[in-house]
Amino acid sequence: MKKVLSLVLALALVLGCMSFAAAEDKIDIVVWSFTNELQGMVEKYYAPNHPEINFIYDMTPTADYPAKVDSLMASAGASAEAPDVFALEAAFVKKYVSSDWTADLKDLGFTDEELAVAIPVMAQIGQNAAGVQKGLSWQSTPGALFYRASLAEKYLGITDPEAFQEKVCDWDTFMETAAEVYEASEGQCKIVTGTGDIWNAYQYQRSEGWVVDGKLVIDSELYDYLDLCKTLIGDDLSWDAAAWGETWFAGMKGVNETLCFFLPTWGLHYTLKPNCGLTTNDTMSEEELVAAVEADGGTYGDWRMVEGPCGYSWGGTWIGANAQKVASYDDAKKAAVHDLIYFFTLDDGFLYQYAQDSGDFVGSTVVVDKIVAEGGTPNPFLGGQDHYGMFAKAAALANGSLMTEYDDTINTLWGDNVTAPYSKGEADLDTCIANFKAAVAAAFTNIVVE
Amino acid sequence: MNSAATGSQVKTKHKSVSYDKYGYFFILPFFIVFAIFGAYPIYFTFRTALTDAVGWDMINNNHIIGFGNFAQFFDPSSAVYPRFWGALVNTLIIWIPNFVAQLGLALILASWFTDSRMHLKFQGGFKVMIFMPNIITAATVAMLFFSLFNYPIAPINTLMQSIGVLSSPFEFFRSTEWSRGIISFIQWWMWVGNTMIIMIAGISGINPSLFEAALVDGCSSRQTFWKITLPLIKPILVYNLVTSLVGGLTMFDIPQLMTQGNPNNTTDTVVRFIYNQGFTGSFNFNTASAASMILFVIIIIGSIIIKWVLSDHDDKPAKAKKGV
Repeated sequence: MKKVLSLVLALALVLGCMSFAAAEDKIDIVVWSFTNELQGMVEKYYAPNHPEINFIYDMTPTADYPAKVDSLMASAGASAEAPDVFALEAAFVKKYVSSDWTADLKDLGFTDEELAVAIPVMAQIGQNAAGVQKGLSWQSTPGALFYRASLAEKYLGITDPEAFQEKVCDWDTFMETAAEVYEASEGQCKIVTGTGDIWNAYQYQRSEGWVVDGKLVIDSELYDYLDLCKTLIGDDLSWDAAAWGETWFAGMKGVNETLCFFLPTWGLHYTLKPNCGLTTNDTMSEEELVAAVEADGGTYGDWRMVEGPCGYSWGGTWIGANAQKVASYDDAKKAAVHDLIYFFTLDDGFLYQYAQDSGDFVGSTVVVDKIVAEGGTPNPFLGGQDHYGMFAKAAALANGSLMTEYDDTINTLWGDNVTAPYSKGEADLDTCIANFKAAVAAAFTNIVVE
Repeated sequence: MNSAATGSQVKTKHKSVSYDKYGYFFILPFFIVFAIFGAYPIYFTFRTALTDAVGWDMINNNHIIGFGNFAQFFDPSSAVYPRFWGALVNTLIIWIPNFVAQLGLALILASWFTDSRMHLKFQGGFKVMIFMPNIITAATVAMLFFSLFNYPIAPINTLMQSIGVLSSPFEFFRSTEWSRGIISFIQWWMWVGNTMIIMIAGISGINPSLFEAALVDGCSSRQTFWKITLPLIKPILVYNLVTSLVGGLTMFDIPQLMTQGNPNNTTDTVVRFIYNQGFTGSFNFNTASAASMILFVIIIIGSIIIKWVLSDHDDKPAKAKKGV
């Protein structure tokens, strides 16, 4: 009797397990990121409508993220714990889209029509050297030029942004304006805080990135940049102070008279606005805001934005797929991963909703155009200017193909070895360039320096 | 009685046998910790230095290529040669003034604090104040001094202009001398208290009867210091010199956080070089490991020299000295 009972129970257990496994036939998607932002978005917007997908998240801080991704991809890139999709930051996105570890998005079923709506500069950064689309951005970060309307009126007699744009339409005109402001204000007002401000925009003026075909390239525009920096410091046209320093923030607050700041989308919301000297919260009514600005406004409402001398992008986050795993996907999984990436980077409905919820600048031109057409986002901080529309304009101007995987280190070496000593008149150009080349050669074993 | 004696004998024998081995258990934790956190990393670094490991994907997936990574540090035409040796020279230039001043002041303060004839008041307060900078994190100190000496608007510049020393702001961190000087000063300021406390401990360990005898014999303070204190704290001195050498040559945090090697790499230290090789650029783990091993050897040689210089070179047998 006991034997029979135990047999029945054992059978029931086995059957139970089997049916349980059948019910659990969900698609596993492993998501790797360096912040919990992506996980939060998936849980809020995506997972509720996709119960068939079992998300497995892994969060590693930015500093350790490349180390973790690299060592796993090299040893066990196709294993179950390896990511299906992973978030990529501006500092290292190029490295991964240039490697074989990220999948061609077309292998996941992306079509040219789908990809065509991505913001061009962000899409270019997500491509490898051959132009294969491997990553798509879900946070687009075009940059623009912000200036203080009161100072522009006082020293240049300019009252509307379009007229100001003409004053900064290219770098030569920008420098003429710098001199004009200096003279009109008798040196009290400077066009920018220092050479560091210019760099993020000016690097997009180049026609070639730092490394082409494994060789170090110093674009001719960079020599113009150096002369510009030397004039900015030599002629006292800037405060000669570093970005993110005291003088920089003092300019935002209006403690010193700094006319222009080069900042991207996040720079407006998280840098300029919180440092303008007025602590607002979004629940303030218009009247309360006006009263607060009048009482002790700092520079709130005094800012306007224009495209500036050149289009650029600064920062951003991309999503890519793991090539080693994509190769073994069945159709269901392929569709699921495609759907996930599509949803967060190109899906009209979601991106529109997300832009409304967060105010972030999204990665689809269709959605951006729709928001702009609906009147955009009039921003009291910018005197009612629509920052969405302006960022859309700026985004169209930037060329993302200049970005390389070496940029982070090379930009630092360029600043330390060339920009600083040359612009401050400490060393001649040849010495600086020689030092820079030696530094690049020492840092990279895989770049040919001539 | 007979059987009882036999019994106790057996017991004693048993006891002595079973207790012996426990000694090993007590020293075992050290060896385990040392093997995991000391010996293995050194072995791993040495092995990496012999490989072609460049980039995280090759950290566990590389090939031994021989001593080429070491050879490049002795080849003047290689890219890393001027950077590594330049960094070593920078490190020494920053470390030596700080170390001389640190040891000198720590010795003077320690002898004052322990001098029974001086009876310094508020000793505890002074010791705390002098030791205080050592408690603050290096990152905080670096940010503090960076803000103080910043340019163009910062406390030191403002002060110097208001008292008429400077007519226009001076960019301290674009001057080689000032940048090195400030780092050297920070190192001194942070570590002098630590050195002093160890010196005080060393001096307190000297038998007070020696000082009393000196007092009775009419020694001056100076004589007591040179003839009694200094010779008897030699082991402590060796300890201080060696730890300071190790700390000085592995200097990293202050230059990294405050100057990033600027201006023109004149505050680039050896460990900054290693860090930049290993964790920026193309992540040259092999070159970084080789540089670490070379630094390791330099420190060992330096320590041996210090030990040799400060030990007695008399031919007296060790036993005879013991009685003194």
